[in-house]
Amino acid sequence: MSAHYFSCKVIGCGAWSDSFDSWPALVELLKNKDAVANEIKGPKPEVIPANERRRAPLPVRLAVETSWQATQRAGVDPKELCCVFVSGFGDTQLTDYMCKVLATDSKELSPTKFHNSVHNAAAGYWTISTGCEKAANSVAGFQDSVPLALMEAAIQCHEEQVPILITFFDAPVSAVLTDIMGEGSSFSFSMIIAPEQLSFSEKTSEENILRLNVVSESCDWPVLQSEQPALQRCYSNNPSARILPLLEVLLGVSGTKELQYPISEQLSILLSAG
Amino acid sequence: MDIRLVDYESTTAAGIDLTALRKAIDTQTSGLRSNDFFDSPLNTWIGRITEVDTIDLGEWQSRNNALAALGLEQGSIRSTIDSLIKRFSATRIGIVMGSSTSSIDRTETAYTALTESGQLSDEYRQPLVHNPHAPSLFVAHYTGITGPALTINTACSSSAKVFATGARWLNSGIVDAVVVGGVDTLCMSVLHGFDSLQLVSPNPCKPFDQNREGINLGEAAGYAVLMRPEDAETDLDISLRGYGESSDAYHMSHPHPDGLGARLSMQQALSMAELEPDAIGYINLHGTSSRANDLIEGQLIEKLFPKTTQCSSTKGWMGHTLGAAGISEGIIALDTLRTGLIPGSMNLDVLDDQLDFSIQAENKLAELNHVMSNSFGFGGNNCSLLFSKVAG
Repeated sequence: MSAHYFSCKVIGCGAWSDSFDSWPALVELLKNKDAVANEIKGPKPEVIPANERRRAPLPVRLAVETSWQATQRAGVDPKELCCVFVSGFGDTQLTDYMCKVLATDSKELSPTKFHNSVHNAAAGYWTISTGCEKAANSVAGFQDSVPLALMEAAIQCHEEQVPILITFFDAPVSAVLTDIMGEGSSFSFSMIIAPEQLSFSEKTSEENILRLNVVSESCDWPVLQSEQPALQRCYSNNPSARILPLLEVLLGVSGTKELQYPISEQLSILLSAG
Repeated sequence: MDIRLVDYESTTAAGIDLTALRKAIDTQTSGLRSNDFFDSPLNTWIGRITEVDTIDLGEWQSRNNALAALGLEQGSIRSTIDSLIKRFSATRIGIVMGSSTSSIDRTETAYTALTESGQLSDEYRQPLVHNPHAPSLFVAHYTGITGPALTINTACSSSAKVFATGARWLNSGIVDAVVVGGVDTLCMSVLHGFDSLQLVSPNPCKPFDQNREGINLGEAAGYAVLMRPEDAETDLDISLRGYGESSDAYHMSHPHPDGLGARLSMQQALSMAELEPDAIGYINLHGTSSRANDLIEGQLIEKLFPKTTQCSSTKGWMGHTLGAAGISEGIIALDTLRTGLIPGSMNLDVLDDQLDFSIQAENKLAELNHVMSNSFGFGGNNCSLLFSKVAG
């Protein structure tokens, strides 16, 4: 069967890791090889009410922070956005807490930690904090999380003709699982995509067309061209940081306008910036 | 919208396959038992599938994957998948699995067998199992499907939302068939987690009853194969006509007091199917048997639907199967289009005195054209599905 193209425009981004705290800071690192990465603590997303924020686990705070940044940059009300949240590892620190308690005789779990342990905690905190009543999805693709979530969101955007917030986030891995998963790191990136013809925002300076195509062929993982050690470290140990080569394409710093990601042994997605 | 079902199967405590489930519904035989789940001391009832206990998948082993495999061996699901792979190729079939626990049962077990230095012992070094995507990774491995495979983890709405994603994938043309599924197993996290929220009932659950005491947890695997109508070679004549997806924007573990998100998801499903509420003959309710859910959902049904719409919760047969509830109960709902047998709301003695809608304990026979199923999850995540008989 013929190839399938889905076109959308990227209207706002947000970013956070141990070495950048905003999309402009990440752009600087990706564009300028002499830029120096700072050590960042946090985040403390303002949009979550203070009493809830204290109880919010790190992956949730990462995801909500960059989601909020993206909506602010796009000038879009979060209530207008369906959302797709994706994490490759899930919250392994909470899993660690629960498994340790359950291995004891008492087995008494904290109710707050239990409800925070659902994979859709980030989507839950986001929709609760922003009053968003739209469809909220929370998906997982392990190491393939970035291309699978991009595909899922691009198809939803195309089929339902709605703008969508996509947030890719992963946090450091619990000690017990690092043997098999690697150490991980704090990384979250959000982008808002919208149907090309949809116009609902005054701010259009960051608009960038993204085209996604599912192709029946295998491919290798793309190479991150930036030599920034902090970015290379994230790229190698954090499934969500696999978005970084696509950002180089969107920013025009990679020397190419397209990029391929594998989604199975025989299938890949081709992404191009226009 | 018109997305066809070409096959479906269900494995729950009420029956290992669809045939056994139909019999259990007809005879009103519950699969719930007093809690005997390994070393859990909780005083409650559970919907356990004992056939899972003896399955060993080697490097893929987890209770959740074992149940996923058991479910795939029921009815004609495997042969349907095999013939679709031959017809279209393995890359043109998609997988969308829903789960809330994925394989956390295996991580729990691994923590009881850590090495002296606190590391995973050899048999538990399973990166493809200890992650939230495990159900789809396993189903792809087990079936040989190499198309896109995604896992949806939105707690108790997970395997309802798989139908929405599956439908979008088919309408977009990236696949020719989608295997949608849901699998969740009993494990310590959910038993003791729901207990920490004081939601677990010491007795068999009684959804919508005045004296309901909480939920019973269960485990299940369910699958459906979806196709575009022009490609579907089937005489099932069942169509997914609508879905609704919404958020409560209220609280992580308590439903919106006015059922705001639940109302939105039901209205979206009706609107997508271009149907009015009085067209719906039966709704399989979320009906967990918790005080809050049943009151809020029941009041909403009373407002939105006429008394001609028959409703029930079927959790008295199998318990709340969490991330597998969406598809397990979606299958119960859509199967009534073929059998005409509407399940009663098992264990309902006295309807909550704040509620007034069409629900009773006894089964009913009726010719149905349109049915719905509701699934609401933690984080205020809601999904409603609408299935219709394909007009002759």
